[in-house]
Amino acid sequence: MIDYSKLEAGQQLSSQSLTLDAKAVGDYVAAVSDASNPAAGDGTPLVPPMAIAALALSAVINTLQIPGGTIHASQELGFGASVPVGESLECTATLVQNTVRRGWRFLVVNMEVTSEDGGGVMEGKSTIMLPA
Amino acid sequence: MQQGDTLPTIEKTITQTQIERYANAAGDHNPIHLDSDFAMGAEFGGSTLDGTIAHGMMILASISEMLTVTFAEDWLNNGKLKVRFRGPVYPGETITAYGSVKKVSEIDGQSELTCGVGVRKDNGDVAISGDATVRISSGG
Repeated sequence: MIDYSKLEAGQQLSSQSLTLDAKAVGDYVAAVSDASNPAAGDGTPLVPPMAIAALALSAVINTLQIPGGTIHASQELGFGASVPVGESLECTATLVQNTVRRGWRFLVVNMEVTSEDGGGVMEGKSTIMLPA
Repeated sequence: MQQGDTLPTIEKTITQTQIERYANAAGDHNPIHLDSDFAMGAEFGGSTLDGTIAHGMMILASISEMLTVTFAEDWLNNGKLKVRFRGPVYPGETITAYGSVKKVSEIDGQSELTCGVGVRKDNGDVAISGDATVRISSGG
């Protein structure tokens, strides 16, 4: 059980690899009924950018053992490069804010996702509200 | 595109089966999405839920889908999104992702579009609202 009051701004929460193989991407696309089928100019299938964001956030959620009843309040995302299906990415999550207001704990988490060669793929900032 | 232009909307009906698929695909098994007994009475934005709700990121995916359809690889290469999750989406509800161009700027020889975007439910409530920004490549 995590004592959320002890999490400090600046603390790295997680660092892990995401594998965006055809199955993972296919499962995601089916779940959200995404018909956009992004592809590069040469026809190479690309990962829907929200799949990257969802899996990166999932790593944070699982690391933090987020309790039931947690609410996702806001989300910022910036994409830096398209990602071919099959690539592996590195995702690092860092806590930037931990406050309590009106019975809720607000955690603000920065996520940085890079390709295997270190190139920037995605940055994100998630605000989640946990029952305090 | 120019200021005032609207983006092609994306409409879909959310089902509990889809929510469960999303939970598995995204690895988010918060019972607020999966267990109606748990969800009933839970709080969201000062009101009480009537049952399970869709994941915010699942609903947000419809905005990104709309932006991918509109801006293709430019959205994947340099898109930015800033949104608030304003209200829950329940299974059985139909959502529409919408957007329009608020501003067009010239930056480093490229057009940068700022779009107001959101997701509206069939009862008129707004589930998500925010802004998206994308630079259009010369070939776009």
